[in-house]
Amino acid sequence: MEKNLTPRYLVIGLILTWAVYTLLPTWQYQKMTENQKEDLRASGKLERIETKIIKQGLDLKGGMYIVLEADIPTLLTNLATLDDERLKVIINKAEEESKNPDVDFFVALENNVKSDGIKLSRYYHEYGSSLDEILLSLKDEADDAINRVLEILQNRVDQFGVSEPTIQKQGKHRIVVELAGIQDSDRARSLLQSTALLEFYLVKNISVTNEMIAQLDNLLKGDKDLTKLELPNKPEEKKSDDEATSVSELFGESETINTSTADNNEDDSQLSLNAPFSSLLTALPGDIGLEDKNLYRFKKLLSLPEVATRLKNSNGQFLLSQNNQEMTDNSIEKIYKLYYVEDKPELTGGIVDEARADLGSLGSGSAGQAVVSLSMNSDGSRTWSRVTGANIGERIAIVLDKKVHMAPSIREKIPSGRTQIEGFANISEAKDLAIILRAGALPAPVNIIEERIVGPSLGADSIKQGTQAVTLGLILVLIFILIYYKFSGLIASFALIWNILIVLAVLASLQATLTLPGIAGLILTVGMSIDANVIIFERIREELRRGKTPKTAIDSGYSRAITTIVDANVTTLIASLVLYQFGTGPIKGFATVLFWGILISMFTAVFITRTIFNTYVSRKSITSLSI
Amino acid sequence: MRIIKKTNIDFLGKTNITTLLSIFLISAGIISMVLNGGPKLSIDFKGGTLVAVNYTEPVNIEKIRSELSSVLIDGQSFNFSNAEIKYFGDESNIAVRIASMEEEPEQFSKKFSDKLASIFPNLVPVDKNNFILSVEKVGPKVGAELSSDALMAILSALLLILIYVSVRFEFKYAVGAIAALVHDVLITIGVFSILGYEISLAVIAAFLTIVGYSLNDTIVIFDRVRENVKTTKNAPMKNIINQSINESLSRTIITSLTTFFVVLILFLFGGEVIHTFSFAMIVGVLIGTYSSIFVASPVVIKMDSK
Repeated sequence: MEKNLTPRYLVIGLILTWAVYTLLPTWQYQKMTENQKEDLRASGKLERIETKIIKQGLDLKGGMYIVLEADIPTLLTNLATLDDERLKVIINKAEEESKNPDVDFFVALENNVKSDGIKLSRYYHEYGSSLDEILLSLKDEADDAINRVLEILQNRVDQFGVSEPTIQKQGKHRIVVELAGIQDSDRARSLLQSTALLEFYLVKNISVTNEMIAQLDNLLKGDKDLTKLELPNKPEEKKSDDEATSVSELFGESETINTSTADNNEDDSQLSLNAPFSSLLTALPGDIGLEDKNLYRFKKLLSLPEVATRLKNSNGQFLLSQNNQEMTDNSIEKIYKLYYVEDKPELTGGIVDEARADLGSLGSGSAGQAVVSLSMNSDGSRTWSRVTGANIGERIAIVLDKKVHMAPSIREKIPSGRTQIEGFANISEAKDLAIILRAGALPAPVNIIEERIVGPSLGADSIKQGTQAVTLGLILVLIFILIYYKFSGLIASFALIWNILIVLAVLASLQATLTLPGIAGLILTVGMSIDANVIIFERIREELRRGKTPKTAIDSGYSRAITTIVDANVTTLIASLVLYQFGTGPIKGFATVLFWGILISMFTAVFITRTIFNTYVSRKSITSLSI
Repeated sequence: MRIIKKTNIDFLGKTNITTLLSIFLISAGIISMVLNGGPKLSIDFKGGTLVAVNYTEPVNIEKIRSELSSVLIDGQSFNFSNAEIKYFGDESNIAVRIASMEEEPEQFSKKFSDKLASIFPNLVPVDKNNFILSVEKVGPKVGAELSSDALMAILSALLLILIYVSVRFEFKYAVGAIAALVHDVLITIGVFSILGYEISLAVIAAFLTIVGYSLNDTIVIFDRVRENVKTTKNAPMKNIINQSINESLSRTIITSLTTFFVVLILFLFGGEVIHTFSFAMIVGVLIGTYSSIFVASPVVIKMDSK
């Protein structure tokens, strides 16, 4: 061939050098020991290296993948200035309809508003006067809410010290959180989930609380339906001193429990008939407790319509504590604290400017103890001053997502918003509360709608097995090709190895993530790439059989095979693009590898092999070709 | 070395038998799906929770099933004995699949895996973090979205391919190619239904790869046909196609073999997570090769004779 081959060599040399150079950090990183990594991290160089290496997906190194969705219907209910059933029904209907993936919530809402004839301006007069105007600003509010959630989540995840977290928006109202290599999935989950609505509720005082419990007992007494709520298998152990405690004793003096005169042999169901509500509760020093084995029955009772009406008429609601703490004396049962609070919050999130955990300053009453100091914006301070002034001695519950985190007593009127909360067991408890207070700027609750956790051991297995399969598949294909096509097979093998290396280099420079399906894609690329060479070689053999010289056989073999290869590969490229478009996480990884693998195989299996053949036949006048 | 010498097999003469075979395979799959009420979908599409855990020694599934008949979570009693419980990889690993619940207790997957740990307390790894292999929880809404996305993916892939092949070849070839693809996907779904394998997101990816692979095969043959139509004028279409299949037979077999080896290795050694994915690929490679010869080509002849 008379064509000058130098430019071809230049292109090939450049690309291969680039591939090696790009893969170098990954290779170095793989060889590093944990200690070396630690040293580099200390000197701040590790991060720079980590941006240049192939990232491993969560399925390979273990971790959590969580999709959160902002609860827009609740946001809209919260934003409404007027709180009535008619609006709620419409919002619920729109929510129900938007469960169909093709229906947008706001479109459904608009249709429902139109068909009902309800005037949105009555509820959202701050957001405009016409329907379009209001809907537009509500949409803005929703977008804004999710952006704030995103920001807050980023802060929180950083504060809790998870390495390389990925937090990004997906679509309009969703956030995808990926936490790699996380060991304690419970902690991470509660950290993400507690990003929700922060509210301050006044806790009703003891006598009002006891009165309500007595009322509910009376209301439910003898209700035959309640027996249906009984546990199918009754708890064997019956240490029910406290269950029989009378209502007045239940709250307040915990000492009375031990001297309780209750009849221990009283039948469980008899007891729950006489005092169906309070029999579920347990007395704690200064609080009411609810054992977690009674949680389900408790929730069922509260959801009964007559109970709900009674609570509503009394402007009260029951809330549970976030944690179910274990009792100190007999640490067998886990117990939630139960609070009877006002049904409307005094303050909601967004008013907290700053919240900080500290040790109490010298000279103050709390010297050396953990405290949380918070400051509020002017709106919040005004309300706070009024609420604290009017309720000195009462307790105020700090509620996140309908869970009480703490219910400190109000000691004095706080005019400036500068508030100090005391009574923490240690500084980290105070720090957690401070984080929760800071995160309070969320107007919409957040739900976990998808969750995938891969344990570290499964990830390690996957990467081992994946690497084995790739290596084995590769070796098998190489051996087969070498035997079947001899010298030409050697050229094809060379091309195949470069194909894999260049795909890896592209992944590293794209900052793409290698997942297990990605490894599968790599193996598939091996198969497809070798197909290109098979098509070419079979063509060349055909031409040789027709009596052509090696040189012309190679020329016509390549030129005829090329259209076939392009057509066949383009269709696979189409499939991989569609996969990328519609796939999520791991599937995207597969599509990325397949796409680049096929594209690069056209370079390695066609361009590189052709150049080698051309060099081979141009050197000397050869009469036979090893193929 | 040459496996395939020059052949002259009358592939299209056997169309009657192969059509019967294809019809048989497709209807077996459809009957199985009708009997089972549709293909078996994974939690990716149906929503639900899948918890996979790792005991230190092989355990008995029936024991777990009976223990799961009454599970107390937050005082509420659940019966999970109808849940799908199976080995995950080897017999010390267990995967339990639970359908979406109307009102799921908080931190359900965590409490459920605690329950699994309490069934064989002595067989839980010392490092408790190694007990949970994986947890997957998909809400019903996400499931519905993933289903419609997957359907969209397959349909748009088919449409785009139809357009591409129509432009590069002729419309009749595009119809032949699509017929082969639909044939392949139907049979693969049928095989999955008959064997009781579930269709997950990864399997959909495998389906699309099968679509790409089978098409690859079909196009290599069509390319030959196109070339031979130009060189040998006036010959009947049937002969040209037969000749083309024979000429590209060695390539078809070699490529199918290498790809088959590769996915077989993936199936055998790739690990539990991509097991069903690689199984779909094995079925796809076999059916894809078959359909290029015995489905795509006969359809082109049918279209040509009209």
